[in-house]
Amino acid sequence: MSTEVSPEHSRAATPGPLTPAPAPSAAPNPSAGRESARRSGVHDKGSLMVAVVIGALLIVWAGNNSYRYSLVQTAALYALIGVGVYIPFVMGGSLSLAYAAYASIGGYSVALIASKTSLPVWLGWFIGAAASAVAAVILGQLTRRLAGLYLACITFLFAQAFQSWLNSASGITGGQSGIGGFRATSIFGWVPHHRAQIVMAVVLVIAVGYAVDRMRLSPWGVTLRAMREVPAAVEASGVRVSMLNLVALGFGAAVAALGGSLFTTVTSVVTPGTFTLNLVFLAVFMALLGGQATPWGAIAGAVLIVELTLNVPSLETSGSLLVAIVVLVVMLVAPTGVLGIVNTGRRRLASVVADRRRADTPIDQSDGDSLA
Amino acid sequence: MTAGDVLLSGRGISKRYGGVVAVDSVDVDVAAGEILGLVGPNGAGKTTLVDLICGAQEADAGTLSLQGRPLDGPSSRRAHRGLARTFQHPQLALSLTVAENLQVGRAARRNSRFGRMIVSGLAGIFRTEPADDLRDIETVAAELGITRLERRADALTLGEQRLVEVGRALCQEPLVLLLDEPFAGSDAESLAGIADIIRSVRDRGHGVILVDHNVDLVASLVDRMMLLESGRVAFVGTAEECLASDEMRRVYFGAADDGRDHGVLRRTAEAVTPSNAGPTASGAQVAADA
Amino acid sequence: MDQPQLWVSALTQGSFFGLLGLAYYLVLIGAGFFNIAVGAYASLAGLLTSWLVVEKDFSLWPAIAIALAVTVVVAGATELLVVRPVQRRGRGSELAALVSVTALLFVIAQFAGFEFGYTTLPGQQLLDIEPVQIGGAIITANALIMIVLTFAIFLLLAMLIRTTRAGRLLRAVGDSNPVANMLGLPVHRVRLIAFLLCGLLAGVAGLLFSSQAGVSSSSGLGWAISGFLAVVIGGAGNIIGPLIGGIVLGMLQIFVPYYWGGNATNIVLLVVAAAFFSLRPQGAFAQRVRV
Repeated sequence: MSTEVSPEHSRAATPGPLTPAPAPSAAPNPSAGRESARRSGVHDKGSLMVAVVIGALLIVWAGNNSYRYSLVQTAALYALIGVGVYIPFVMGGSLSLAYAAYASIGGYSVALIASKTSLPVWLGWFIGAAASAVAAVILGQLTRRLAGLYLACITFLFAQAFQSWLNSASGITGGQSGIGGFRATSIFGWVPHHRAQIVMAVVLVIAVGYAVDRMRLSPWGVTLRAMREVPAAVEASGVRVSMLNLVALGFGAAVAALGGSLFTTVTSVVTPGTFTLNLVFLAVFMALLGGQATPWGAIAGAVLIVELTLNVPSLETSGSLLVAIVVLVVMLVAPTGVLGIVNTGRRRLASVVADRRRADTPIDQSDGDSLA
Repeated sequence: MTAGDVLLSGRGISKRYGGVVAVDSVDVDVAAGEILGLVGPNGAGKTTLVDLICGAQEADAGTLSLQGRPLDGPSSRRAHRGLARTFQHPQLALSLTVAENLQVGRAARRNSRFGRMIVSGLAGIFRTEPADDLRDIETVAAELGITRLERRADALTLGEQRLVEVGRALCQEPLVLLLDEPFAGSDAESLAGIADIIRSVRDRGHGVILVDHNVDLVASLVDRMMLLESGRVAFVGTAEECLASDEMRRVYFGAADDGRDHGVLRRTAEAVTPSNAGPTASGAQVAADA
Repeated sequence: MDQPQLWVSALTQGSFFGLLGLAYYLVLIGAGFFNIAVGAYASLAGLLTSWLVVEKDFSLWPAIAIALAVTVVVAGATELLVVRPVQRRGRGSELAALVSVTALLFVIAQFAGFEFGYTTLPGQQLLDIEPVQIGGAIITANALIMIVLTFAIFLLLAMLIRTTRAGRLLRAVGDSNPVANMLGLPVHRVRLIAFLLCGLLAGVAGLLFSSQAGVSSSSGLGWAISGFLAVVIGGAGNIIGPLIGGIVLGMLQIFVPYYWGGNATNIVLLVVAAAFFSLRPQGAFAQRVRV
């Protein structure tokens, strides 16, 4: 048996010039893949534009009303946690329930940096994100060989334990009353206030949504999404799926921590009760409610949930019940979520329009086909 | 045919489930530029052997080497060393497009280690589809005659799904390609197409292990053929030798036949194949027996 | 740990967790599914009983009967309306089923809060007998019922599963739903029965426990996690596993706060769970689960 790599092997390792297609009848269309990629890129920008418009409307709507300010802040927090859940849960198929803890980590690291050190506050954002990611990876590592519920369970217990620790370690965390009244985040000496903060929150959410959507379409995201459906095949292609899962959990935790940092920065106070355990379930439901196809679904779900639970006076107590029921119904009846329904509706409308047009000009059929 | 050096080599590979020996100290060699056919009746251990070589299952005993270096560890590591496979039941992500499924084969190298996965994920924010990836995917697709890469995989026929699986495996640029029943569910036309692809892969210097029930089809393609029976190697040799062997008769017809009439064998083998190819039928039989 | 009273408490709580674990166990072996709504069934039964008695002036036993009936119906609906349709969607449906049932848990909790109020309702005294004193420990009637009934239920079910045809069917179906289907076994019926029994057991557990600790609409989630942990710690290889796991968990819940303070409980729970998940996920007291 030869250990040398013969020229043939190296040729095998990098396939040389191609042999002609075996079946000339099936004419290859080399540009098809690129076209589809480009098309999804366009879709990408479309969602971004919609998000920017809605974000701008929200800022205008908030005006100078401090209650509306707080609603937009809460929606931004929910949205970032929702996007954090989206990465490992919707793309990778791993259900973690520690997002309240990750948001707390993000919040407390900002608060601690601002109140106990003279370091720049934005450092807290990075430290929080990194610490959350590390925690998520460790928790995922503990259950990497086990069924999904084990991860859900250990992460839930972590969130519980972390809250207990925040309550009891008063020397560090200020105990039940938390940390408040600390320095605000300043950007090169400029300290943003009210309206600027709202604008920043909206911009951050849209930027993160856009970034995660790009990740979804990237080879990394493709591999992660394939892993959810066919882990054996992805493993056989050369990707350690258990490791990829950990990385996805880490990214998700980091994004949720950003949400916590943002919220804490804006409110200037954080307590063990700021990010409640119920928030986790709302976060999981956001993606399901809004739609699983893209992270924009989670963001749409966040806005919807804030609206339903906090802003409709007639639903003051029943809002959460309504959210839970709607989520259950969506899961059972319309797994694609609200954005999915909107998309289907749009496509139907398009094909109806196309049919009309085809009926008007019966010769031209290709247009209708491409839309169908 | 170019008789290259041995690429993949296995010695004494064994696997048992409880008291049942699924694979019993099998030796296997595949050279560069060679197609090795793996035939045998249902339950002979063909797919188990593929799983053991790829690392999808852990062998109880035996050693494997690729290009003279030991081959072990999880299947992802073996894939990086140069193995690629397809599955008996196609494993495509059905909610992804054909192009995305092919991309999984390409993306693997950029996600081989923990740190690389992080970098690759972050890089995805800035550059969604690397141009060289797309080019390679399109080249492979063109070679296989796969068109309309933007289709979702759940819109494909079973035969097309198998073709995309072969494409995903080729996107890995493997040294050795393991194909588990690539012909099942294909019509006559695409069958010939797949056969051509397998030959062209071989001619570029890859090693190929081909598993199938259809003895005649395998015999017409392969350079060497290995007959498995109850987890043991019953015969290894050229396709002609194997078809003509007493072991072949015994395994497929239950008794050795003195008259060495290939025609009879071929005709009967064809008659045997459909019942072999119908796992549900035999499954129902088992159920009825129980 | 020389306080008999604490041991009684640990045993009572342990019995509760063990019963919840048993409810998990039935669906786990019958349908291969961790039915996390168990916690919701338990809190629903407890809340409904107390609400009927306190707010609607029902007498105790009719209230209990209604509450248990409702719980069993909800458990049946879990299988028929949620788990089965979602699992039928095929590949990757395992997580979808888990999340749907989690949503159901949330729905039940929110509904209970909305309908019965968000405060903790007192539990009901089941039997009017004097507390029993055994060697320095006082056992209340409710605790006594909890412990005795739990052991009785475990014994009964262990016998039923081992000896009756229904028990063998349950295990055969649970080994592999598709294979059992092919063999012509009544998979759907067996699964449904597993869910109904699960609801009944969880309901009884919730009733008994809320009679001592009270119950609120938000109890369900914590109980769901506790029951799951009981199965994990005890192991699902054997029907006694959940009981042992439950008692271990009960001891943790009682002794840890006593010695190290209330905030330590959650941290110790995390550590114990992490240790089990990474070292012995098949449970402490089970041989390897049949392959």
